[in-house]
Amino acid sequence: MNKRIKSIVLAAILILGIMVQDLAAFATTVPYDSYNYDYWDDIVYTPAPFIPYKSFGGDDFKLDGTSIGKFSSPQDVYVAEDGVYVCDTGNKRIVKLSLDLKSCLEIIDNAGGTAFDQPYGVYVSSQNWLYIAEKTQKCVWVLDENREVQLCIKDPKSEIIGEGFDFTPLKVSVDYANRVYVVCAGKTEGILVFDSEGNFTSFFGTISVTISVWERIWRKLSTKAQRAKQVLYIPTEFTNLDVDPDGFVYTTNIDSAGTQAVMKLNPKGQDVIRLGEKGKIAGDLSIDGSGDYAGASRIVDVVYRGHGIYTVLDQKRGRVFTYDSEGNMLYIFGGLGSQEGTFNMPVAVEELGNKIIVLDAGRNELMLFNQTEYGALIDEAVGLRYDGDEAQAVEIWKKVLKLDENYELANDGIGKAYLTAGDNAQAMKYLKLAMDKKYYSIAFRRYRNEWLKKNLGGILTGLIVLIVVIVVLKNVINKKRGKSVVKEGLL
Amino acid sequence: MKKIKAFFKNEKLWYPFHVLSHPADGYYEIRHREMGSVPVAILLVFIYSLCFSFNRIYSSFVVNEIDERTVNALTEMIAVFMLYFLFCVGNWSITAVMGGEGRFKDILVVVGYALLPMILTTIPAIFISQGIAANEEAFYTIIITLGTAYGLFIGLIGIMTIHNFTLGKTIITLFLTFVAMFIIIFILIMITDLVSQVYNFFYSIYLELLYRT
Repeated sequence: MNKRIKSIVLAAILILGIMVQDLAAFATTVPYDSYNYDYWDDIVYTPAPFIPYKSFGGDDFKLDGTSIGKFSSPQDVYVAEDGVYVCDTGNKRIVKLSLDLKSCLEIIDNAGGTAFDQPYGVYVSSQNWLYIAEKTQKCVWVLDENREVQLCIKDPKSEIIGEGFDFTPLKVSVDYANRVYVVCAGKTEGILVFDSEGNFTSFFGTISVTISVWERIWRKLSTKAQRAKQVLYIPTEFTNLDVDPDGFVYTTNIDSAGTQAVMKLNPKGQDVIRLGEKGKIAGDLSIDGSGDYAGASRIVDVVYRGHGIYTVLDQKRGRVFTYDSEGNMLYIFGGLGSQEGTFNMPVAVEELGNKIIVLDAGRNELMLFNQTEYGALIDEAVGLRYDGDEAQAVEIWKKVLKLDENYELANDGIGKAYLTAGDNAQAMKYLKLAMDKKYYSIAFRRYRNEWLKKNLGGILTGLIVLIVVIVVLKNVINKKRGKSVVKEGLL
Repeated sequence: MKKIKAFFKNEKLWYPFHVLSHPADGYYEIRHREMGSVPVAILLVFIYSLCFSFNRIYSSFVVNEIDERTVNALTEMIAVFMLYFLFCVGNWSITAVMGGEGRFKDILVVVGYALLPMILTTIPAIFISQGIAANEEAFYTIIITLGTAYGLFIGLIGIMTIHNFTLGKTIITLFLTFVAMFIIIFILIMITDLVSQVYNFFYSIYLELLYRT
């Protein structure tokens, strides 16, 4: 009897345990798919690299005891060392939040007495100066740490700029030498660069236009009147930018072809980004179909996250893509919707510690995403590899594989490590899983040579034995035949 | 049983290999001395479709861009057979009106036998692909290309021989064959569409009657 009760209790506990586990799994279910693309550009679903943590509507924050009120179509966010700056465009102010996002530290709504009208972009330089791109006032305000106006960049003058140049700054970034990079509305010439005194120096990183052969033929065939009505082939505009600590400028632009929406510009203005195996850095790879939801991703913001990792934001499908320095897609998360943790009109992405902030201008919310173990492991392994510490990265890759068996980069990393260690058979196994033809072939060649070295003696001996046997057999048969011939002759 | 055995008589079973080395003579004898066998030809098509799928599944990934999980040998076999019959029917319908001497079964035999070089090269190529690394793909590609080219070559000779055509006329008929194939496909699609519409019409009448009572 006692035993029976015990077993019943045990069974109940077991069932309960399973249910609780199910509930736990249910609780962590995220409102979006996280996936990646495999060798054939097919979608492979992955564990979530980031999960929604919390969203802030603005009225959660208090300054001097009073709520600061809801955000109104905020357009930009920047994480500085001393706080999070939100460009609250609709309320004509910059809101500085504490790094733990618990309180509001400061509200900036004017520059030396001039109230803002439409602040659109915000940036904080290393010397803690505040740079604000003002869309309607057509200038970039530079405020120092005491919020005194240090500079007002407007109306750039230069020989290469024509008369009546419309300077409408949208986004601004500053590098270590206090050079100011400004993305302007409707400017196809490139990004405007100003020196630390606010003098215009040059355009930067112009996107070249590519016209297909077909379009060229079509233009040749059309008359002048027709040509005038055709779409002009002008380069696309930049949408956003970020400067990494080494002075490389990461820029985003709208690429309707879905080939390259991110550029990494060196100080000369040349694009030095690596496009990876796919040859594309433009968000989603499967973009076929018709309707609003199809088509290339609309990359609107980029944030450099260290160790060559950068994250871009797609406004079209509300996805957040992360790439490494070699152009490999690390992970994808996010989506449009009305559920908590999904976006309506995402405009900016930033990194806060190991969390990711996405600013939504449609929902007027600042959304915070927590990194999961999966995302953290990938970042760590990629970081180690970026620093050249491949051996240490292998251990992390193995952990990643436990969470996601299909992760090609992990297989690749482990395979390459086995290759350097000299274990060619294992290297071949992992490199094949990673579909890495180049390194697989290196491993395979070594393996083949080893195998030949080991077995060449045996093969040659076997061959010689075979030849001898054949010769002997032939002789024997011939002799037999000869005998029979002789016999016949005798008969 | 006897009949089946007669179909696969030793000399007929090995005749494709004779055709391989003597295409013109071989196909002539198929047309005029009844040396060909339709069952053998169909067997060759069957083996070819297997080789085709095997090549896509088992070739080393160094030369193989295909995700082997997406390969379905059965659907590919159906496709190969459909293409085979489509080509043969198309060729027959064109050559019949253009004064070709070949019968339908001759066309079936010619096309089936022309697949033999591809069968013979694909299988070694699969094995070779297992032993090559990047930059050595040429070994694999050359073998496959040679097989395909020779197959096309003897197929062309075969069509020429059984219909007693000149080369130019053969090429014209081949072109028309492809046109005929497209027309056949078009008609088939149209018929299925029309039939389904008729079926839907009667089915809706049936439903209407069903719901009225």
